[in-house]
Amino acid sequence: MTTTAPGAKMQFAADHDAPIPYMQRTRDYYQLLGFAPYRWAHFVDVPWAPLRTPLDRARVTLITTAAPFQPGAGDQGPGAAYNAAAKFYQVYSMPTETVPDLRISHVGYDRLHTSAADPNAYLPLAQLKQAAAAGRIGSLGPRLHGAPTNRSHRVTLETDLPEILRRCREDEADAAVLVPS
Amino acid sequence: MCHQTVSLAARHLEANGISTVIMGCAKDIVELCGVPRFLFSDFPLGNSAGRPFDVESQRQTLELALQLLERAPGARTTMQSPLRWSEDASWKRDYLDLASLSPEKLAERRKEFDEVKSIARAKREAS
Repeated sequence: MTTTAPGAKMQFAADHDAPIPYMQRTRDYYQLLGFAPYRWAHFVDVPWAPLRTPLDRARVTLITTAAPFQPGAGDQGPGAAYNAAAKFYQVYSMPTETVPDLRISHVGYDRLHTSAADPNAYLPLAQLKQAAAAGRIGSLGPRLHGAPTNRSHRVTLETDLPEILRRCREDEADAAVLVPS
Repeated sequence: MCHQTVSLAARHLEANGISTVIMGCAKDIVELCGVPRFLFSDFPLGNSAGRPFDVESQRQTLELALQLLERAPGARTTMQSPLRWSEDASWKRDYLDLASLSPEKLAERRKEFDEVKSIARAKREAS
């Protein structure tokens, strides 16, 4: 056991150098704007399914909240302002063989400190392909799946998630890597 | 809401026998929801898969997530990536920094918020 002598200088990180409390900041922000507080999903129990196949034989699927580029729906490029017209409301799937054009202008990413100029920072498709080529994973699923970020828990839980599960089963996925934008 | 959506998705897949790992940047949202495995990168939102134009950081980030898939001992396992966004952490102060909002800016944001909601509603109804 080590002890620190009283008065010794502690090398703590700066007070603000901790994970951002997004829920608190969102709550305060909504309150200031005059909107009702948002109720975040919260559970006591967490399901658990150990990987049933060694990873180098497992089929891994990719799930994203990025949106397919929609011509005519306004600026969706790097640094674009929040663009609600670029949102999507149904689960979509796209082949992983090619590189789909997926953007994140429809969500509240940190526009001050990043610009979404490199899709690989929010969509690990190229890295998953490399992992498959190197034998680190058995294979990459034939499709990636897009999850709509509805504000309604009911639609997410009752409509979107069963549909994503159905598509993952169709693809015979053993595991999923899920990446929010 | 992206982090909440994928957290709910991970839970649903896992409950149906598919192992999951989330790669994300909003620690509080994912952990409150409760998920099986979570690789947390302390980066600005929008960089869940690694630093932009930094292939090595993207490779390391996925590799850590894959290790969680293989080795996490049980549910609610969070690992924090050792990668730093920048030595200076002052970027963390800026997200929804209310102190920086003047009454005029606030009124502008309220108006924008209403506009965004109405665009989203129209689009949702059309889809």
